[in-house]
Amino acid sequence: MPIFDQGYQHWSGELAGHTWRWMVITRQGVRIGLKNRFVRILLLVAWVPALMLASVLCIWGLLERNSDLIAPFIGILRSLFGPQSVADPQLYRIDVWTICFHYFLQTETRFSLLLLLVIGPNLISKDLRFNALPLYFSRPVRRIDYCLGKLGIITTFPAMILILPCVIAYLFGLLFSLDITIVQDTFGLLLMSVLYGLVIAISAGMLMLALSSLSRNSRHVGLFWLAILMVGAIMATVLEGVDHQQRIHAYRSAAGNVQSRDAIATAEIEASRTDWRPLVSYTADLSRIGQQLLGANQSWEKLSQWLPPNERDVFLLKLVGPQFPWYWSAAVLLILFGLSACILKIQIKSLDRLK
Amino acid sequence: MLFQLQDVTKTYGSITALDSLSVTAPNGAIGLLGPNGSGKTTMIRTLLGLIPADRGSGEILGMDFRRQHLDIRAVVGFAPEDECLFPRVVGVEFVGYAGELVGMSHKDAFQRAHEVLDYVGLGEARYRAVETYSAGMKQRLKLAAAIVHDPQLLILDEPTNGMDPAGREELLELARDLAHNKGMSLLFSSHLLPDVEAVCEHVIVLGDGKLLTSGNIQQLKQIHTRCFEIRLKASDSKFADRLMALGCSAEARDDRILVHLPEGASPQIFWEVARDQQQQIRFLRPRSSTLEEVFLSAVEPQ
Repeated sequence: MPIFDQGYQHWSGELAGHTWRWMVITRQGVRIGLKNRFVRILLLVAWVPALMLASVLCIWGLLERNSDLIAPFIGILRSLFGPQSVADPQLYRIDVWTICFHYFLQTETRFSLLLLLVIGPNLISKDLRFNALPLYFSRPVRRIDYCLGKLGIITTFPAMILILPCVIAYLFGLLFSLDITIVQDTFGLLLMSVLYGLVIAISAGMLMLALSSLSRNSRHVGLFWLAILMVGAIMATVLEGVDHQQRIHAYRSAAGNVQSRDAIATAEIEASRTDWRPLVSYTADLSRIGQQLLGANQSWEKLSQWLPPNERDVFLLKLVGPQFPWYWSAAVLLILFGLSACILKIQIKSLDRLK
Repeated sequence: MLFQLQDVTKTYGSITALDSLSVTAPNGAIGLLGPNGSGKTTMIRTLLGLIPADRGSGEILGMDFRRQHLDIRAVVGFAPEDECLFPRVVGVEFVGYAGELVGMSHKDAFQRAHEVLDYVGLGEARYRAVETYSAGMKQRLKLAAAIVHDPQLLILDEPTNGMDPAGREELLELARDLAHNKGMSLLFSSHLLPDVEAVCEHVIVLGDGKLLTSGNIQQLKQIHTRCFEIRLKASDSKFADRLMALGCSAEARDDRILVHLPEGASPQIFWEVARDQQQQIRFLRPRSSTLEEVFLSAVEPQ
């Protein structure tokens, strides 16, 4: 039987415009990503902290309404947020919410970087390996559409564990507080959380895309990604540790080993305001931006006011993160973003080469 | 007119891939011939706006290839030469995705993907991962992806490379059917002359990035008025010997004799010799050039 017996029918439908063409690539990539069982498991695990966030916000809402249901949790809340905040929950509402969102986003940042390790390396390297670029660019798809589509894939997955749970937990918090003023107090926090989620997803996504375009071997890309995260974190820790020990040694020599613990803590907090060493770590840079956007440090300061002055600095030193200017981290992230964009521009150009 | 290029030059560093190329192609099935490195693929990529030309202008389907490349790619289907796949998808997703990338809605693209996969004979394999397809199946898959949006012009770049004879014949049959029965214009790039001759009416021959010749294949295969092919009832060397004695040059080719008449002689001479030799002439016609000869004479250095 001739193979064209089924016949060929002409098609007379309408073609869509070019504006949203990148969405096709994103949709297809997300569909393929969700077929990966490991990705699905990782997403489910990453949503567990979201349940905790929603639970704390709901409990705080019930506390504001003096509900008897939360009596078993009062002790835990006092130890977490201090007795004064439990005594007047509405006054400390925004600070408690801020701390909760900050912890949640810090945890989810780690999950999202892991998720990128699973999803990201294949995105462009596999297209290069299977020589798929001519299939894209021989259709009405521009390089910018291709890159946006791939960026869409790689930001969708982190957004699923960073932004979506924030919004859902926020809505639960509203429902359990039954106080309209809470929207006025906390809507800015929601916006900042979403913005922080986008910063993480886009910054890390671009970096991963650039790495993915550098090799046809996805394993190499994955290893490179791990190296960036781990080597950066280890280097930052080592540099900070060495610097910290030098300062401690200097305090002790200067004061004849008689300085109090809280005086050293105060000096350490002061020193951390100009310490550039955490900048070496990519995750520390993301974390610093998060602190700034959410205002976590101010919330910790407010929540620590009930502590005696001599204990406050020790408490803050333990809980607040790096203190160096946030725009240093922003500059590092922007430089990495620009570098990633340049790499993509150079690498996604394979049709204009002589074989 | 399908496309025209005027003075198009494209260089890669010190290598000139297209050298002031000017060519016009009519609608229909066009064969693009040329030795390896002659600029066929570069010409196709330039037409599609995939690579920028250094100089020159041109139109494809009435659209400026330098400015309207996205519009051009929406009405052109292209099956590249290399093995290229969208990884981790099954056949129907591959073709449907190709349709969506052109701008078809998801529903239309997948409905159409099923239709064209049936058409190219991959209906049974539509749910298999494309990585598992054979070389011939991958070529047909690329063809299906190229025609999913029903393009006005289909460009096939070396479509039969690496295919077994049966698969090659099937692909040529599909290309012929699309070009001759379905009203789709075709640009068929190949260095396999029989493939081009089997599918195309017109041919463009490139060499070193320049146009060597172009035109209707039947017209290019010129009729030789002084050269004839003759087949006798019984093969006999005496017939050829006698013609040579009369000043002709004769050369045996398979079951035929190729005879060049001398100046002033007419084909009547064949009948006279046959009568003298008691032979029956079963076949007599003026010889026409083969496409191979046209190609070789075009690419031969002058």
